[in-house]
Amino acid sequence: MLILVFLFFLLIPGNASAFQAAEDQPTEYVVVGRLIDALGQPVVEALISGYIDGQEEPLAEGESQEDGSWRLGFSQVPSEDLRIVFKHPHFNSTSIHLGTVERSQLAEDSVYRLGETTLQRKITPAFWIATIIFISVILLIATERLHSTTAALAGFSAIFLISYIGGALNPGLYIFGFERGLSYINWEVIFLVLGMMILVAVIENTGIFQWLAFQAYRISGGRTWLLVLILMTITAVASALLDNFTTMLLMTPISLQIALALGINPLALIIPQVLASNVGGISTLVGTPTNIIIGAYAGISFTDFLVNQTGGVVIALIAMGAFILFYYRKDFRKRSGGMSVALYEKLKENSQVEDTNALLKAGVVFILVLVGFVAGESVHMVPAVPAMAGATLVLIWLKPDVHHMIKSVDWTTLVFFMALFTVVGAIQEVGLLSLIASGMSNLIANNLALGIFVVVFGVGTLSTAIANIPLAASMLPIINYLTLTIPGAQSLVLYYALSMGAAMGGNGLLIGGEANLVTAGITEQTNTRITFKEFMKVGLPVTYITLIIGFLWLLLRFNIY
Amino acid sequence: MATTILCPTRGGQSSYPNQDRAIQLAKERGADLVFLYVSDVQFLDHTAAPKVVDIETVLDEMGDFLLTMAIERADKEGIQATGIVKRGSFRQVLIEVIRTHSIGIVVIGKSRMDTSSLPPEYFEKLAEEIRHETGVEIVMTQESDSDKSLND
Repeated sequence: MLILVFLFFLLIPGNASAFQAAEDQPTEYVVVGRLIDALGQPVVEALISGYIDGQEEPLAEGESQEDGSWRLGFSQVPSEDLRIVFKHPHFNSTSIHLGTVERSQLAEDSVYRLGETTLQRKITPAFWIATIIFISVILLIATERLHSTTAALAGFSAIFLISYIGGALNPGLYIFGFERGLSYINWEVIFLVLGMMILVAVIENTGIFQWLAFQAYRISGGRTWLLVLILMTITAVASALLDNFTTMLLMTPISLQIALALGINPLALIIPQVLASNVGGISTLVGTPTNIIIGAYAGISFTDFLVNQTGGVVIALIAMGAFILFYYRKDFRKRSGGMSVALYEKLKENSQVEDTNALLKAGVVFILVLVGFVAGESVHMVPAVPAMAGATLVLIWLKPDVHHMIKSVDWTTLVFFMALFTVVGAIQEVGLLSLIASGMSNLIANNLALGIFVVVFGVGTLSTAIANIPLAASMLPIINYLTLTIPGAQSLVLYYALSMGAAMGGNGLLIGGEANLVTAGITEQTNTRITFKEFMKVGLPVTYITLIIGFLWLLLRFNIY
Repeated sequence: MATTILCPTRGGQSSYPNQDRAIQLAKERGADLVFLYVSDVQFLDHTAAPKVVDIETVLDEMGDFLLTMAIERADKEGIQATGIVKRGSFRQVLIEVIRTHSIGIVVIGKSRMDTSSLPPEYFEKLAEEIRHETGVEIVMTQESDSDKSLND
């Protein structure tokens, strides 16, 4: 009740005006400017103080904003020369002297524009701590010592504990404050993933994937090579529209049943599908978690992904299919003997569309969401809006158990994303990513083709062993810098290179992608093990075949010769 | 004396020696045969991607299918078998089923390293624990089909 009364007084017009008046305290004379780092990126939350030479108490203080801009207001023109001091925990302090000429101009125009001031980074203890925390989180995820979300949360907690407790003892340990840390969370990603989770939960319950896999078995007529090609196509398309992880969760069990009943080597059916799922997802904004993160960060739309990536993805899938047919040629030469009537009936029963009505309605909503992604671009509507609207429409139209639907949302993943964004924000804040970006810029030396090569193959190779979600998230500020500085990169081609490298690289090793791990986990439930070595023997060649195709496609698509 | 034989299985060709041994034992002793499939989704704990799919139900359906295959194999040998699909920790489920279904013999297959991430020693230790805890007879089989009875 007290809170309501408080809110009431806060919101009534009189009070609002009072607040406005306080905020607009007349400051007749203003010095403005912008703070950037050596890479031209804005420096946020720097403390700017204006001193009369020789005095210790500042005349005015301010803070740099998101775009690095700042302003200092004075009620009168300072009577003596002014010293503007810029302080930030991760930059060397800098001061600028405003003498008689500048003060005269301030008196004349009421505003003095200082322009851009470049601050130089300094390596503080916080730099090393944030770096160690980030590497620890990556290692904990890679070695499965902790659940991904727990690992990211441990990093999140360590950063803030050290910032506040350590920072109080030694200012050099300060990384960032809570509010600043949370500003690194990309809420567009969180809400897009949330909306898509609800939609996918409805669609998967209809049994459409199992039905499609069963139809693939029927159409193939016992020809194993045809069966695997159809399953790869279904998996790739489904991965592009939903996400590759969910697709493999649904496709693996039914594919295993078909393989075991027919006496086919299950790995010859399952591994090609997981490889196709990792590549198929590249062609749309919602196809992989990395695309969602990249799209939200760089403002790349659903249509942009579709237009700029699909061609390369289709060619890569064709090449992958050819390699798979060659690699498993002995398995595919065998014609399966078919299955018994009892097993066929059981498979048919497990592959039925369980709720046609729900499938139709969910299908309509899903198409509307896709239309929303495309049409929304004209009014600058972020994809999270149609995704959330679609999720809401599904809840209203299908009237599922809301508690069950909300429970279907994988909150663990959403928390992982939030904690991860903050941990990556920490290494951005202390300057590690600027350092890497600067090094890459020197290496690439304005050669865009070389830049695409480095990103596609560098990220692709790293993705074979490192989880691609944190890798892509940490690469974004680096790609942003390269996009701003390399001539021709403004087409955002380097972001597409990142998308291709992160997803295709996931095929290299079993630990390279979430879809690989879950597929291996389900497969082991049938006493069939996808070993690290077996996966690598197929995955590594496929990775580099598809990376080469992806690289050449981007050169062609963006006319870079 | 007629008893009930329990054969935990995960299907697939590598499980056939284990299933065959259970079918053979059921024939020899005139016993009832029950196949058990236990799914465990612990492998999902180490992945960060969204898990919106009701994977446990999907795995139940897969387990049901794999047990149909096993029952069909028993049927070809003239043995009428039944199947049970359960979720959870293999050890706990096994003990629960042994107790609730009055099981007399359990036929456990030692998986090879290329079919399971668990070493053969795990199955030997598990068999010993189950025998100790429930008093059932344990028959262990391997890919090579050389089996031994712990109660011998």
